[in-house]
Amino acid sequence: MNKVTTINLGGISFQLEEAGYDALRAYLDDAAARLQGNPDRDEILSDIEQAIGEKFRGLLSGYKNVILTREVEAVLSQMGPIQDDAGAASGASTTASGGGSASSSGAAQPAGTAPAPKRLYRIPEGAMIAGVCNGLAAYFNIDPTIVRLAFVLLTLIWGAGILVYIIMAIVVPQALTPDEKAAATGVPPTAQDFIRRAKQGYYEAMKSFPDRQARREWRRRFKRDMRNWSANVQREATATAQDCRRNWEHYWGMGTWNPGLGLALPVVSLLHGALVIAWICTLISLLATGTVFGVVLPVGMPVWVAVLILLFVYGMMVWPLKAARRAFYYGARGAPGAPFALFCVMDAFIWVAVVGTLLWLAVHHFPQAHEAVRNIPTVAHDMADSIRDWWNHH
Amino acid sequence: MSVDEKFFAIRKGLLEFLLLKIISAEKVYVADILKQLSETEFSTQEGTLYPLLSKMRREGLVDYEWKESEAGPPRKYYELTAKGREQLRETLDYWSRISGTVKNLGQK
Repeated sequence: MNKVTTINLGGISFQLEEAGYDALRAYLDDAAARLQGNPDRDEILSDIEQAIGEKFRGLLSGYKNVILTREVEAVLSQMGPIQDDAGAASGASTTASGGGSASSSGAAQPAGTAPAPKRLYRIPEGAMIAGVCNGLAAYFNIDPTIVRLAFVLLTLIWGAGILVYIIMAIVVPQALTPDEKAAATGVPPTAQDFIRRAKQGYYEAMKSFPDRQARREWRRRFKRDMRNWSANVQREATATAQDCRRNWEHYWGMGTWNPGLGLALPVVSLLHGALVIAWICTLISLLATGTVFGVVLPVGMPVWVAVLILLFVYGMMVWPLKAARRAFYYGARGAPGAPFALFCVMDAFIWVAVVGTLLWLAVHHFPQAHEAVRNIPTVAHDMADSIRDWWNHH
Repeated sequence: MSVDEKFFAIRKGLLEFLLLKIISAEKVYVADILKQLSETEFSTQEGTLYPLLSKMRREGLVDYEWKESEAGPPRKYYELTAKGREQLRETLDYWSRISGTVKNLGQK
């Protein structure tokens, strides 16, 4: 005895054994994927469904009203896989008159074949610490030095650089096998295709078409390919993000950790807010009087260096709190139901409101704060001058 | 590589030409086309035919109309447009030249 599923093909209902239904579903999904980008995709799919329905009808009789799994399989093999060349040779005029590189570029990318995704890995070869910057550089195809500089800057300004680095060193897998190394460094085929196409010169190709019909056809195809390309990039990005999330969950066991949103989050947020205010007060004191709450800076230390140190110290102190809030948000997002999301919004709102109000009050009611704001340009100028001197000197 | 494999690409390219020829004779629906092709070297499947027909329709070579069938839902019957007939004429002409060339070349 097998369970039966009822389906609708071209407006007529059929009863299929469950495994047969799965096979049919897989066939239709595959067909839809192969027809990706075909302007008549929906129509072809409905034609296909109707043709399958017609074949099914031939299998039924008065006493037999269920299509068996093996019958579904036989029908599907009769149908054959979807062969769509529309991307390769769409428009006889294009193929005939466009000639050369323009039409062959379409043929090089068969519709519906998913390119091997490029993945984010840590690359140990030539790494300074754990290969995170190296991997990122390969992923975005830029110089590792730039990535390293960005990390140093992030650390200086928010203190978050180190945290990000540590998390990535844990979360991002290391490229060990040749396959992984290829995936880590290779330009993804979709991007390659994009660059090649762009180089070939969209407008060059446009010029080579003699008639308007062919030009229109080419433009239409180009736009469609661009759309497919961006869809591919999105898919890759999503896959990478999901991977990182899985690793993160795996590492912290956060899949099961359900934080006390109602209690812990506001406390953490208030702590965070208090730190922000303390930081701002220190900054104001520093900018206005050149002292940290009465403590004079060491001799020869310019104010901007003190500001940078302050930023760094603040960043280091605040990142565990930030991370905790993120974690709460994250846990909340994973959970179903609206109340959690409401907590997050409320929390963020309270935070912004408190900090904003205090800032506004400080600037408008304390002469010191006012002074500090006025001093910002001078200090910034100082810093720029010092950096320029240093640069010219070396 | 067998002869059959070698001429796979040729058969694939000729399929569109043969469709024009089949549809030019009378209004047909896909099952008719498949049946006519099934007895030849060009035997093919729905999975190939539907996308090809939809491409030819986009190019304005064929058109279809819905017709009631005696059993079941209405079917799409395909027919040639003026452009399709023109292309069929051109292709037939070209084909006879090609087969002439194939026959005559290399003969003394």
